[in-house]
Amino acid sequence: MRVNSPRDFCAGVFFVALGIAFVVLSSHYHIGEMRRPGPAVFPMIVAVTMAVLGGVITFRSVVFADNEAPLDFHFRPIAVSVIAITLFGILLDWLGLVVAIVALVVVAAYATPKPRLASALILACAVACFSVLIFVGLLGLPIRLWPEL
Amino acid sequence: METLSNLALGLGIAFTWQNLIYCFVGCFLGTLVGVLPGIGPVATVAMLLPFTFGLGSAPALIMLAGIYYGAQYGGSTTAILVNIPGESSSVVTTLDGYQMARKGRAGPALGIAAIGSFFAGCVATLVVAYFAPPLVEIALKFSPAEYFSLMVFGLIAAVVLARGSLLKATAMVCFGILLGLIGTDINSGVARFSFGQINLTDGLGFVPVAMAFFGITDVVMNLEKNEQQEASTTRIGRILPSLDDIRMSFWSILRGTGLGSMLGVLPGGGALLAAFAAYMVEKKIAKPPRNFGHGDIRGVAAPESANNAGAQTSFIPMLTLGIPSNPTMALMIGALMIQGITPGPQVMNERPELFWGLVASMWVGNLMLLVLNLPLVGLWIRLLTIPYKMLYPAIFAFCCIGVYTVDNKIFDIYLLAGLTLLSYILIKFDCEPAPMTLGFILGPMLEENFRRTLMISLGDPSVFLTRWLSAAFLISAAIMLIAVTLPALRATRDEAMRE
Repeated sequence: MRVNSPRDFCAGVFFVALGIAFVVLSSHYHIGEMRRPGPAVFPMIVAVTMAVLGGVITFRSVVFADNEAPLDFHFRPIAVSVIAITLFGILLDWLGLVVAIVALVVVAAYATPKPRLASALILACAVACFSVLIFVGLLGLPIRLWPEL
Repeated sequence: METLSNLALGLGIAFTWQNLIYCFVGCFLGTLVGVLPGIGPVATVAMLLPFTFGLGSAPALIMLAGIYYGAQYGGSTTAILVNIPGESSSVVTTLDGYQMARKGRAGPALGIAAIGSFFAGCVATLVVAYFAPPLVEIALKFSPAEYFSLMVFGLIAAVVLARGSLLKATAMVCFGILLGLIGTDINSGVARFSFGQINLTDGLGFVPVAMAFFGITDVVMNLEKNEQQEASTTRIGRILPSLDDIRMSFWSILRGTGLGSMLGVLPGGGALLAAFAAYMVEKKIAKPPRNFGHGDIRGVAAPESANNAGAQTSFIPMLTLGIPSNPTMALMIGALMIQGITPGPQVMNERPELFWGLVASMWVGNLMLLVLNLPLVGLWIRLLTIPYKMLYPAIFAFCCIGVYTVDNKIFDIYLLAGLTLLSYILIKFDCEPAPMTLGFILGPMLEENFRRTLMISLGDPSVFLTRWLSAAFLISAAIMLIAVTLPALRATRDEAMRE
């Protein structure tokens, strides 16, 4: 089998899989009756629609060559960004805002091909100072700044 | 007459010192993010939500609104001078605006863009002032069936107007609705799709969703393209367009304003669609000699007027029905909810100062933007010399802080990371995020009204078609859907989207 539109094919399979998953999950909830529909009804309708649409998209992608562009992933920017944000979450909880921002900015700098550690560190300090001044100093938001001793 | 006295009331509120300052801050920040590529009004409004916690509802809304329409002004500056659309809605402006700049007419291009935007802004303010009150009257008579059908109509309109595949856009709407349903069901108290996670029982917050889909992912896509911006050396020259320029673009500005005002009201519409449509129309009906694509001033005047008009009239469904027509409006609703106000038809009667203050502030804001943009254009251009690699880590930091401070939940940060990955993958599958976010926002309201209708009608689903207004919405939605699938129209739509 040859797929004519790889991006559409992936999208279709994604929607079918997700649709089925939501139908299965919804089936655990109460259906209710027509005059008092339960929590399962509406998600079930939507999920079935999505799965059917996904099926049509998949079918079309195999048969028609609407969109022949291949899938192209560039792993570095997306992977580094997701890691940087997750790290921010972990560190914010554990060591406070200042450390979290510095780590986020420094790690995020590695999303580009030629990062420079020194300039990333300077930028990190600047962003951290600015954020502390604005968000905590000026707005008084309740965020912990430093690690608790 | 009543409208005028209401507008006067609004002007009184907009002209208090506090509101003037917040209006200015909003317009200033809007222009800033408009100029800077890679960060749009959605992400900015989301980031600034924490700033509004301590404000009253009127200044909060005035400031956030200023960001949205301010971004439309700022976006055109970079589009014209460096061929980079600072905002997605100014993509069309690059076609003729940049060509004008290359021919040494950057000044008049900027001038006509600002004048067109200002004119459109003034007209759109009046449109909101005159059309919102009668709509509120109608909306107050809506039963759940009408609300449901109206939202279905809105979602279908968004799908039809979205770029790319119709099927995928519809599937994305469904996906968005399902994501929106995560959390505790208000009727039965069952926590749906939460996998026993306490954090999921409250549902997904809109701010992490909006930030992931419109903030972080945009940056990631920019990093992938890895395009180096050339610092601008364009000489701007005289800014005021000549009398000939004005005479030539007069009708284009009028057409752009009219079209933009109409398209802004549609769900999924707003600034972007308005600009595209205005340019297409201009290409078809402008008086010869037509020089589109090679620096025709009308190709700048029309879309710039349209995007500003559209940005402002997209407030109408939000203010009158409580239904957001685009992600920015959804955030505005979020901001109002934080203030303890549930948007809907009752707001205009219960809080006239909020409604009319906002409307009047739009006009004031447009005046400020004229000043901010024309004489200060050189300043904004200098901002473009900041290298992107200095900018994006800072954007990440502010996005993360913004997401965290909405609810002070670390979980929202992890959610942001996860959703970023999801949205990246979906974009790689050529699935546009805009219909999904609309589904996400409307999903819970859609279900609520669906169930209420069935309860009221004692389980008879035919009410959706026997109540004439509800039927009208559903039938129009069906016609729209059938119309775009017809081969002839489909071809035009595809052609229009490709431009």
